[in-house]
Amino acid sequence: MVHLLGAVLVAAGGALLGFQAAAGLRKRGRAVRQMEEGLALLERELELSAPPLSRLLERGAAHSQGPARGLFQGCARGLDRLDREDFSSLWRRMVRERTELTPEGQAVLLSLGDTLGRYDGERQREALAAVRRRLGELAGRLEADSRRQGRVYQVLGLSGGAFLVILLL
Amino acid sequence: MTAAGSFVQAVQALPLRLRQEALSLPEGDRARAEELRLRAGWPMTAVLPEGERPLGGSPVEGRELEQLVEIASRASLHTVLDQVRRGYLTFEGGHRIGLCGTAALREGEIHALRAISSANLRIARQVKGAAAPVLDGLCPGGRLADTLILAPPGLGKTTLLRDLIRSVSEGEGCTPLRVSLADERGEVAAMYNGRPQLEVGRRTDVAEGCPKAQGLMLLLRAMNPQVLAVDEITAPEDVGALITAAGCGVTLLATAHGEGRAGLERRPLYRPLLDEGLFRFLVRIRREGERRIHTIEELR
Repeated sequence: MVHLLGAVLVAAGGALLGFQAAAGLRKRGRAVRQMEEGLALLERELELSAPPLSRLLERGAAHSQGPARGLFQGCARGLDRLDREDFSSLWRRMVRERTELTPEGQAVLLSLGDTLGRYDGERQREALAAVRRRLGELAGRLEADSRRQGRVYQVLGLSGGAFLVILLL
Repeated sequence: MTAAGSFVQAVQALPLRLRQEALSLPEGDRARAEELRLRAGWPMTAVLPEGERPLGGSPVEGRELEQLVEIASRASLHTVLDQVRRGYLTFEGGHRIGLCGTAALREGEIHALRAISSANLRIARQVKGAAAPVLDGLCPGGRLADTLILAPPGLGKTTLLRDLIRSVSEGEGCTPLRVSLADERGEVAAMYNGRPQLEVGRRTDVAEGCPKAQGLMLLLRAMNPQVLAVDEITAPEDVGALITAAGCGVTLLATAHGEGRAGLERRPLYRPLLDEGLFRFLVRIRREGERRIHTIEELR
């Protein structure tokens, strides 16, 4: 009975590892997708009313999810300290803190710090749209990877667990 | 707010190092300082009534001038781009940064300033009560009459206009009236985030940033004013808009560059104002030592 329980636990552990790895893949894709949606929101707000950057980021934070919310909130707060850190540096620092966006996603986002708040509304919208499109492509790739590799991880986890059970028994 | 308090508020727009330098000025000088001048490659200077005085720090860097614009605009250049194209930027408190540098042109018009080489931080100070010496004379029967303020630059036309608007809008020493102000360059009310940074009274509506003639017509249509105010009549369109407004039964309050009535009559731009009998009173300002003397002349 104890042996059987142990075997079930080992099998379940293996399966859990596999599912966790698959979930991690899905999470990366979702984070990049949420960032893409957050930028789309900023783009629309800029087109509608071209508000000051602080208000733009606050609205963005209020209606976004995941890393977009955190990034926008952090940058909106940092605008009170522009005499110590310019917006470009602030944006870069905040982007680097959002590790869930993957290094590729972060690299795509970094360039926005040199454009947001520094040009006319049209140019900022163009930059947002360009970055949003690249994030959309990245999210698509990550989601496809997640579907393909996620299943592999799940199967690997299950079969790894089963293999261990066979070995132990 | 005290004069020294205005100085402290204004220097918040400076990058940290320059702000610390500015705050090294003694309290008395902070209250007297009119401007801070920043020129790339030279130490920052303070403009005091007796002249320009270097503050003795390291030379200002181009990067710091860009940072100044970023701080003053709260990293939102797109909201102040029209001002920047005209060479200035108003920020919280009504303070103003004059900008100079290499212009980027688009279709023959200044599109942006590419490399900023100089900035002039003008500290806004409201002189409440500036209108008190003339208020009685301009309000026969307690109600403001059509008034033109005339003086050469630098004698306080805008200061007097602002305080007249505030007094009439608040009903200080006269009947309170609804005032609409066409503030094209934002020098009278200094709007920031939709609020006047300099007091223009609770019954005052401000149209900022649009050309004066258009602003006057917009206010006339939209705000149903009892008094229509405008700073610096400079173009025939402005005169035309004032003539139209006068026909609608609105009291006019305006300023113009000039020395006296004779000078006004000689200039073709202002001639229609006199011919049409638009203004009842002409207020002239002149300086006697440190004092400003106001003279009221009846035009009709």
